[in-house]
Amino acid sequence: MVEAPTVQLRQVSKHYTQGQVAVKAVDALDLTIAKGEFTVLCGPSGSGKTTILNLIGALDVPTSGTVLLEGRDLGSLGRAELSRLRRDRIGFVFQAYNLVPVLTAYENAEFVLALQNVPKEERHQRVMALLAEVGLAGLENRRPDELSGGQQQRVAIARAIVPNPAVILADEPTANVDSATADTLLGLMERLNHEKGITFLFSTHDQRVMDRAHRIIRLQDGRLLDDEVRE
Amino acid sequence: MPFFSMAWRNLLRSKRRTLITATSVAFGVFLAVTFTGSGDYSYTDLINTSAIMGFGHVAVEPPGYNDTPSLAKWLTHGADIRQRVAAVEGVSAAYSRITGQGLFASGAKSVGGVFFAIDPELESPAHNLFLRKIKQGELFADSNGNGIVVGAKMAEKLNLRLGKKVIYTVTDKDGEMVSGVSRVAGIYKTGDDMVDGALAILPLGRMRRVLGYGEQGATMVNVFIEDQRRATAMRHKLAKILGGGEHQVLSWKQTQADMAGLIAIDRASNYIMQVLVGLLIAAGIFNTIFMSVLERGREFGMMMALGMRSGQVVRLVMLESVLIGVLGLLLGLIITAPWYIYMYNTGIDFSGLIGDDYSAGGVLIDPVMKLRLFKESVIAILGGVFGLTLAAGIYPAWRAGRVPPVESIKVL
Repeated sequence: MVEAPTVQLRQVSKHYTQGQVAVKAVDALDLTIAKGEFTVLCGPSGSGKTTILNLIGALDVPTSGTVLLEGRDLGSLGRAELSRLRRDRIGFVFQAYNLVPVLTAYENAEFVLALQNVPKEERHQRVMALLAEVGLAGLENRRPDELSGGQQQRVAIARAIVPNPAVILADEPTANVDSATADTLLGLMERLNHEKGITFLFSTHDQRVMDRAHRIIRLQDGRLLDDEVRE
Repeated sequence: MPFFSMAWRNLLRSKRRTLITATSVAFGVFLAVTFTGSGDYSYTDLINTSAIMGFGHVAVEPPGYNDTPSLAKWLTHGADIRQRVAAVEGVSAAYSRITGQGLFASGAKSVGGVFFAIDPELESPAHNLFLRKIKQGELFADSNGNGIVVGAKMAEKLNLRLGKKVIYTVTDKDGEMVSGVSRVAGIYKTGDDMVDGALAILPLGRMRRVLGYGEQGATMVNVFIEDQRRATAMRHKLAKILGGGEHQVLSWKQTQADMAGLIAIDRASNYIMQVLVGLLIAAGIFNTIFMSVLERGREFGMMMALGMRSGQVVRLVMLESVLIGVLGLLLGLIITAPWYIYMYNTGIDFSGLIGDDYSAGGVLIDPVMKLRLFKESVIAILGGVFGLTLAAGIYPAWRAGRVPPVESIKVL
């Protein structure tokens, strides 16, 4: 049996109006991301990168077309099912880390597992192992405001990875960290992609991210400009 | 999901705001305890004082007597009724009595007034205010004797002293004028000139003979119970036990309709005041929770992006509201307890302002303001404050659960 691609966009468009102006954020886009890819969406501001991530992340709905995640049509799912899908199959890494400020590093990383009602003991084992893997051993009890930007982003990566999602959507994950930290974070994500086979889809302007990508999809005005696959 | 821990930590993010809100809840508890406790005490005191001034909590009377009292209406088997009623569970005491209008004279002077015929062997100061207030002499000992106890003001008007003769004139059961002679056995003073100048206490057995009521006659059987709030239930119970016949059973609400009306109006205005205070406090809680929700819109959106259901977000915010309510209640109990204990035991004495003889409708009112809370009132206050806190959190919680994740993510 042929495995469905992790992500598939079929003639997806997303239009909205900004004041009196009609904007085509995504315009009849066809795109397929296979399992285990380390792919970058790049392009100038307004090219539709973040909109595409939002559509794939079941945070937004297309004006037309179909978005499939592991073969499931997101348009056919209800609110509760979409919530469950985001919880179980999609990991998010945001530019501003977006950790829950009142939770510790451990609790932030544990957040999704707790939503999944994973038993406490299992949660503990998985979270501790992952925090160690991302280099945060010993910092479990620190709150986000007690961590550096890079450390916060590591927590965010741990939180995204811990439920074993089908895809991790990372929107400008290196934008708020220095070069050395960005390199470390990218190395970490690359290793996780390589070792665990997790699919990564980035939206970025950062050349360092593009340098590590296996595939670069260039967008302009919501349309595919170029799709470069690297060896 | 550690909702409790998250909710609690969220409240601690703005400690000052949480403390101010909890303090306003605590202040609401304080006001509710003061208003309700004052009402519970003063209404009970008024009703019980009225009961021991001759009305009882429940009264068995001839039909129509309450609307148009007349000595021509009497219970022919008053003593039997008293015995049956006194044996009923929940009844503290029951007394057969006769009351009616009369003219009291001594020498050349006379005054119109009311007589109150009682059996000295049965009556107890616990259920008869006038016995507690005898300042000179004592209550006559013989129910068939010729003793009389008069009020201090009546004694002054008629120039009476202990042992002096008083001639009383009343109408008997047939409407004929009849007179009797008594000697002053005691003088009471309640402090209310209207009462002290008009009411005289006579022996029940003698008045039965004077009025032609026979051995058992009485115009009423006054019934006393421990808890005045059960008067209506006791009224129904006694009516059922006594069955139909030449009597009717009334509670104090009917025999003291004016007082019942005043209490009802006062209680209603008290409730309205408390509701208004409650709404103000709820608005404060609403403001705190709503501000907190607006400030955390991004956070809620992000949590929902990670898979938290909107129902879970609603639950989280509602939990924060509940915690503020619980915190406010605890703070309220801490600041209210010393006040309540003081007001329960000592109270505030207003006799310097209103005097010792302040009365409403002939019923003496305690010049000392005290607080008493019925168990039901405590539950109502706790439930009310908690309910308002919950209600104040509903809209903010609903709003939090409606934050579109994508809108929150966009601004990141």
